[in-house]
Amino acid sequence: MKRVRILKIVAILLVLLFCMAPLVLSDLTWPTQARDYFFDHAEEETGALNTVSAIYLGYRAMDTLGETLVLLIALAGTMAILRHIEEEKSLSLSPEKRASHKMRTNLLEVVSGKLGPIILLFGLYVMLYGHISPGGGFQGGVILASAIVFLALGSSEQTKLTNAKVLSRLESTSFLILILASSSGLLSGTGLLSNPGPASAPVHFIILLNIVIGLKVGTSIAVMCIAMMGGSHGH
Amino acid sequence: MVIERTLILGLFLVGSFAVVVHKNLFKKIFGLNLLNSAVVLLFILEGSRIGNQAPILGTSITHIVDPIPQALMLTAIVIGVCTTALSLALTVKLYKTTHSLHIDTIKERIANES
Repeated sequence: MKRVRILKIVAILLVLLFCMAPLVLSDLTWPTQARDYFFDHAEEETGALNTVSAIYLGYRAMDTLGETLVLLIALAGTMAILRHIEEEKSLSLSPEKRASHKMRTNLLEVVSGKLGPIILLFGLYVMLYGHISPGGGFQGGVILASAIVFLALGSSEQTKLTNAKVLSRLESTSFLILILASSSGLLSGTGLLSNPGPASAPVHFIILLNIVIGLKVGTSIAVMCIAMMGGSHGH
Repeated sequence: MVIERTLILGLFLVGSFAVVVHKNLFKKIFGLNLLNSAVVLLFILEGSRIGNQAPILGTSITHIVDPIPQALMLTAIVIGVCTTALSLALTVKLYKTTHSLHIDTIKERIANES
């Protein structure tokens, strides 16, 4: 008992010490060399006006490759665990199971089914304009995923866009295109994950990477959401 | 600057309280998401100290904030989403097996089964 008491007192002291951190951190200065380098060189070396896009698609594209791999592994794990789940709730995707719940109204179909295409358009805009305005592949991809979830919840018939099999094939294809685009630099001599075309217009490579990453992230998160709503089997 | 850091610390403590103390599995997953958000906000706050304009180059932009923490946090947010998705899938599977979301009940039902 005495050891447990001593351990509890030590834990409380450590938490209190951790709470002193905001007062200590305020005296250190943040270095500015990185920001100055990106301010001077980001546009001519990568072609993107958005410096954040220039970092994660140009200078540190290896991190982006690893992150899409983590998404792929998470998707595979989620689909493997949720493969045989039967869903009886009112949020189920097949229309014959939906209408029998007594608290279900038509509000969901009317609002989300009509908003879905607008959000799809907005997601495509954020994805394609990622190099000159805030946005990019990941942000546009997540908006695309939410648009696909809206369409799945709101429409009464099953379309190809909300079919989990079609979406997962699209996701695998875009991951393959991402790997091929990343290794095309090896064939043209500039190096892995570098721009394979002429050095005067590197912006086309950034736009291609944005589109492919957006498609991959969007379809992957949409497949996970549709699987959790019970729509992964049956059609 | 101290006020913002103290608020982010409060968010972090709420998240860790939810993970450690609550016995419902969904509340623990909420706590994990709060922890993730607190760390992301702290990095972006620290990076914003050296400038006052968004890091998008243009004609009249002179003093941008540091873009590196923002690029790092994009990755962190996506990985937080992946972690949440996998933990929610595992929670659904645990519920289908033991019909409970309380971790003590789950523990004794699994011990009784095996």
